[in-house]
Formats: sequence, structure tokens, C-alpha cells
Amino acid sequence: METIELKIYNIVGNQLCIEAEDGQKVYTLIKKGFVEGKKIILSFQNVSMITTAFLNTAIGQLYRDYTEEKIKSSLEVVNIDPDDVRRIKRVTDTAKAFYKDREGQLKKSISEILGEGDND
Amino acid sequence: MATFTLTKIDNGYNSYKQIIELYQTHKDTFFDTIDIHLDLWFGANMAAVLGGVLDLFIDNMNTINLFIENSETKNVLMRNGFLSHYGYERVLDDRHSTIEYLKIKPTDGRFFNSYIIDEFINRSEMPEMTGALKKKIAESIYELFVNAKDHSGTKFIYTCGQVFPVKNKIEFTIADTGKGFQRVVNDALLTNFTAGQAIKWAIKDRNTTKNDITGGIGLAILHEFIKLNKGRLQIISGNGFYEFSEEGQKLHKFPYDFPGSYINVSIRTDDDSSYALREEIDSNDIF
Repeated sequence: METIELKIYNIVGNQLCIEAEDGQKVYTLIKKGFVEGKKIILSFQNVSMITTAFLNTAIGQLYRDYTEEKIKSSLEVVNIDPDDVRRIKRVTDTAKAFYKDREGQLKKSISEILGEGDND
Repeated sequence: MATFTLTKIDNGYNSYKQIIELYQTHKDTFFDTIDIHLDLWFGANMAAVLGGVLDLFIDNMNTINLFIENSETKNVLMRNGFLSHYGYERVLDDRHSTIEYLKIKPTDGRFFNSYIIDEFINRSEMPEMTGALKKKIAESIYELFVNAKDHSGTKFIYTCGQVFPVKNKIEFTIADTGKGFQRVVNDALLTNFTAGQAIKWAIKDRNTTKNDITGGIGLAILHEFIKLNKGRLQIISGNGFYEFSEEGQKLHKFPYDFPGSYINVSIRTDDDSSYALREEIDSNDIF
């Protein structure tokens, strides 16, 4: 499988990957690559900060469009801080659960709060 | 001409209550002059809360005059730039203890980035902190900014803070005058949560009001960070007051509604927790 490296710093134009809109740009490029059957390597070289809002749009929503197996075999990250690896893992775990059973998750979360009462 | 006095404003429930009372008293005042006296003390970070409320009065074509009797309070609010929005001269922060009062459009993310770099990351006079802690603080503030930007529908976001070198702490507040947690959550979930319930729902991990894209992690991460740091998190929205600290979780009701949402964090800077040394995750095992 041919690989393409996407340089996040260049796509965002900044060392700070903060906003969901910037994540959307990354998502669009990953999808373009996936459609053409390419493997995508995301390089976080020179990136100093990443929010979950950015990661949700850049990576999280891929789980809506592709299977976990497809993403696993076609996406890789390099040059990334270990703490940010944890953050991506948290986003991908959340995305898998979200797209698997959004309705069930929502109902459970509402019941939990109602079960706790108002407490004020 | 109307007059209102705010007395000894810190980060406690009663201080927020006074600012809500100010809002309730004058939210329907138009084309008037409102004289506001800040009596005894006014915590610098609370400028973000007051600034949002005063802008709503200004939207109603009112003239705002601020009177500050306490010279120390006046000096701090001049140094952090808050009073320069109300006819006072801007003075240099020669004590380097303020985090500038900023009123910013939600679309000005790039400007906010520079603000965080200047006020937190590259600032030499910050109390000594580990690099990991500094990064955690900046990340938390960014998460709050994007949260306000993406959910509140506010015209402006207001931020302000104060550094306390002797007490080893930073207070930072981010405020908006948008829809508030209760409306955002109830509109999306078709629930009838109280403001307090909406806040509690929103800070739980993986709870998001979005339907198509994942979310709900930012506030949960902030909550976890504050717990590890042994700091304090306050969320005020509508008539709900939520506080989390070492003492546990508190939820109170105000007699009236606040316009928008206010998040205040108190972070210990002498925290040497090894944020970076938790369990390593293989980057090949994240998808």
C-alpha cells in the first residue's frame, strides 16, 4: 500500500492544534487518501499542543465512515509526544463507543443524572 | 442614574450571587447611567465574569461607571487591563502578577493562541512549574476556549487570571454570555435538566451534545487534571453553581439565572505530579 505523510504542522499552519475546524482539514485529507487506497502517516513534528476538539474532527469521525480494521491498517502517527498518544487513544476509544451505540449511551447518561437527583 | 455596590468579590458562591443580582437588577435597564462600586476587594479573575455582564448592559445603551475605593484592587484591575475598558488609563504590570483581561470574538482563535503563549507558556515570571504541568494548564485552557466557542453561541469570550506566587496558585476564568449549559444540553437531549444537572452531565466523560461527531472529553480531562493537581474547578451557568475540589463536589442553586457560563479554575503551581510518567501507550495501538 502506498503511503502518504501528512504534516500536521503545515496543514494547520501552527504548532497549536486547537480548533475543530483545523481538525476538519486533516480529516478531509485523510479521507482523500483512504478513497484512493493509500496508507496515511500523520506526522506531528513541531506540534506542541493538541486538543480533543481537534482530534475529534481530525480522527474521531473516521470511525463513522470506516471500520476499525480499515483505520488500524491505513493510519499511523509519528513524531508525537507520548502524552498526545494517550489523548488520541482516548479520542479513538470514545469514537468507537459513540458510533457503536450513540442512542444507548445517551439514554444511559441521562438516566445516571436523573438517578443522582438534583442534589442542590 | 442607578447605583450598585459589589462587596468583597472573590471566588465564593456569595460573590457570584452578587454579580447575578447586579445582572437581574439592570438587565432591563436601557439608556441609563449605572454607577458600580467595587467595595473592599475584587478578585482579578472575576473581571471576566463582570466584563461579560457589563457588556450586556452596554448593549442596552447604558453608560457604565466603575468606582473602586480600594487602591490595591484598583491597581490590579488597571494592570490587567480590565479598567481600560471603562475609561481608566492602562498601566504597565510592573509586578508581573496579572494574566491580562481579554475580550475576544470566538472566531479569533489565532489571537487567543498568542495570548496563551504570551501569558502562560513563554512567560518568564511564572512560578516555577514542571514543563508537563505548564502544558497541562495550557491544554486545559484551550479545551475551555473551544468548548465556549463551539457550544455557547456567544458574541465574545472573556478571560482573565491572576498569579499568586506566594500561595503557589493561578486563578483563571473563562466566561461567555451565550446559551448556557442548561439550554445547550436540554435542546440537544430533549431533557428537562436543571442547570446543575446539565453541568454535571456535561463534565462526565464521553457525554456530548453533538450528534454526528464525537466529543465530551475536554471538560472530563479538565476535571481529572484538577483532581490530580488538587486544585479547584467551578462552573457557573444559569442558576447552577458547581464546585469540585479536594473537599469534594458541591452543587448549589442561585436565586436567579446568570447569563451564559463561567468556568473558573484554581491551579496549584507547586504541583510536581509526574503527568508525563503514566502508563505509556504504544502509538501502534491507538486505532
